[in-house]
Amino acid sequence: MSATKNNKTGNRLVVRALRFLVSVRLTIVTLSLIAATSIVGSLVPQGASREEYLSRYSEKAYHFIKLFGLDDAYHSPWFYLLLGVFALNLLLCTLQRLRRLTGPAERHTGDLSGLVSAGFGFVTSPLNKGEVIRRIGPSYKRVRISERIELFEKGRLSRWGVVIIHTSVLLVLAGGLIGNMAGFKAYLVLRPGDEASAAMSRKPGQSAVVLGFRVRCTGFRVTLYPSGQPKEYASDIEILDDKGNVLKRGRIRVNEPLSYRGIYFYQSSYGRTNIYTFTGEGRTFELAEGEAARDAKVPFMVVRHADDVHGLGPGVMVAYMDPDGARALWFLEKVEKMRSHTLKGSRVSLVKIGGLYHTGLEVSRDPGVPAVLSGFVLMLAGLYINFFTAHRRIYVAGGPDTLVVAGTASRNREAFRKEIERLGGGIA
Amino acid sequence: MITDHTLLGLATIIYFALFFFHILYFVWKRQALLAAVQYTLYAAAAVQAAGILMRWALSYRLGIGHAPLSNYYESLIFFSWSVSVFLIGIRKRRLYPIVTFIASGISLVLMAYASLSPGVERGIQPLIPALQSNWLHIHVITCFLGYAAFTISFICGALYFFGPNGTIPARENLEDMNYRSIIIGFSMLTSGILTGAVWAHFAWGSYWSWDPKETWSLITWIIYAVVLHLRLAGGLKGRRIAVLSIIGFASVIMTYFGVNFFLAGLHSYAT
Ligand code: HEM
Repeated sequence: MSATKNNKTGNRLVVRALRFLVSVRLTIVTLSLIAATSIVGSLVPQGASREEYLSRYSEKAYHFIKLFGLDDAYHSPWFYLLLGVFALNLLLCTLQRLRRLTGPAERHTGDLSGLVSAGFGFVTSPLNKGEVIRRIGPSYKRVRISERIELFEKGRLSRWGVVIIHTSVLLVLAGGLIGNMAGFKAYLVLRPGDEASAAMSRKPGQSAVVLGFRVRCTGFRVTLYPSGQPKEYASDIEILDDKGNVLKRGRIRVNEPLSYRGIYFYQSSYGRTNIYTFTGEGRTFELAEGEAARDAKVPFMVVRHADDVHGLGPGVMVAYMDPDGARALWFLEKVEKMRSHTLKGSRVSLVKIGGLYHTGLEVSRDPGVPAVLSGFVLMLAGLYINFFTAHRRIYVAGGPDTLVVAGTASRNREAFRKEIERLGGGIA
Repeated sequence: MITDHTLLGLATIIYFALFFFHILYFVWKRQALLAAVQYTLYAAAAVQAAGILMRWALSYRLGIGHAPLSNYYESLIFFSWSVSVFLIGIRKRRLYPIVTFIASGISLVLMAYASLSPGVERGIQPLIPALQSNWLHIHVITCFLGYAAFTISFICGALYFFGPNGTIPARENLEDMNYRSIIIGFSMLTSGILTGAVWAHFAWGSYWSWDPKETWSLITWIIYAVVLHLRLAGGLKGRRIAVLSIIGFASVIMTYFGVNFFLAGLHSYAT
């Protein structure tokens, strides 16, 4: 006895929970929370360091930010939870609607005389039936409902608009999830001639992504506008297997990635490394910033570059050890007297400051992209179908001495009323 | 020599005339003035279009050819133009002088701000490589048509609280026009976000990166999605829809202006 009672309340709970899960009210709540999180995420800097937060906010606010993961709001557990609830809500709601759409067609005519009095129909003589049907025209599909009633119908697809839109949102979410779980985002910095078989991951705590093949940069080129801004930059890339055979070759430009086995390479940035050429004691040293000439008679190190030292042009600061401690000197490329210095009795000269470009490539694999892109296409199609087409139905019901013509439209009723008026013009 | 600035300056003057003809109409209520309003609107949009085309041509002459849709100045002009195009587009069906009055005021303010504010760079600038994409055109066009539609929705929502009277139309009419504007705006904004995502996919290797502009366009999109659902499934009407369309427009403003001024990101093109 009590068991059945428990069952009943249990069932009622399940029913209630389900009703809540398909409700539009839940949609409104989750969407609003997603929007609210996004607002917070756009205002609070994302992924900054502890120091940066403390320079902006109080200690208390910082703890709050950390507690709710607002420093990485779009990847916080509760944002995922929100998205999960939203997706479930959308899925259930779409299934429910799908069932209604594919279920037994609602062919009942409803209240035709009510439509007539609302201005969506008219009454005429049965003799005019042929004329009415001619005026309805071939754009309507003719369905015989009963002996007496015929239905003329157009834009049935319009009823599918909402389902198509909702399915497309699910597809985009699914694509995002797939990309998140099975994809990666990484980057590579290569100088012409360099080769790599792994890329640096963008995810913190994950250092390298092994590509399964080798990538070689064979060239990099940048063209500038007269103003000095970059106009175009491009890298020549080769994909190689372990034995060094070239599998694919191509040029990557901004907006024109290269793909190999689902991994995409995008041109994202470039930079220049300065190379300083020194001579001393008959030897030549080519050094980048931070590098040291260890085997020089007096070892020295390139510490710092400046494009302009006190208006005297580009220069480089060099450090070496003296018995009294570390010492630093500026070598200036454009000033004769400052091109050479004596370090503890050893003469060192700066020959030139040369540059070497490196290219910055974004490397990503996102198996979710096809789902996302088809979601996009579907969403636009769905919006068009839902908002800009209408399901119109015109019933022609013949009696012994009257013919009732009346109809309904799922949107844009004013235009439909005019259409009905035209149908009845002169005969209603 | 006639330059883009000449034509756009002329367009600004025509917008001023448009604004003024509206006032005359409200004072005298002559049908002839309404016709003048209509033709002035066409003239403003046409001259402005010529200015935009001229700028496009000039950029090619400078050797940095690109559609004039890439910096803040150009976007202000295009926004103003989109509002007029939207008005002309719905003209045939039903348009209320009070709505075109406020809209032409907004166009005028946008044009004046674009051509007079010292903070707006008006030169034709070269395009950084990431912006050299055909997706840029369709992205910007759809976004701004969406913003224009939401501007009209906002006007209808705001007018809801002041009418109806001799100049302000009946509430059902405002609500109907508001809804039409929202569905066009929502479709356009969706197209804008999606084409932007496709472009980001090709330019940066990631279709969504939560940069502030993207995030705010999503927030705006969600607000209007909520409005549509509240209306259709929640049966929301009247006042509340009007309030929501004002909130939605505040979010549009934040997406367009606010993000550039307050938040940094990939989209913060030079101001
Ligand atoms: C961001 C996600 C969503 C988008 C973009 C979206 C979009 C739309 C659109 C454009 C409409 C048509 C509105 C109109 O014709 O005025 C609609 C209707 C509707 N949506 Fe959604 N929707 C979303 C999520 C959801 C969810 C999660 C539910 C779950 C309950 C839902 C339930 C409905 C319902 C019940 C209707 C009304 C259908 C009708 O009565 O004809 N939507 N949706």
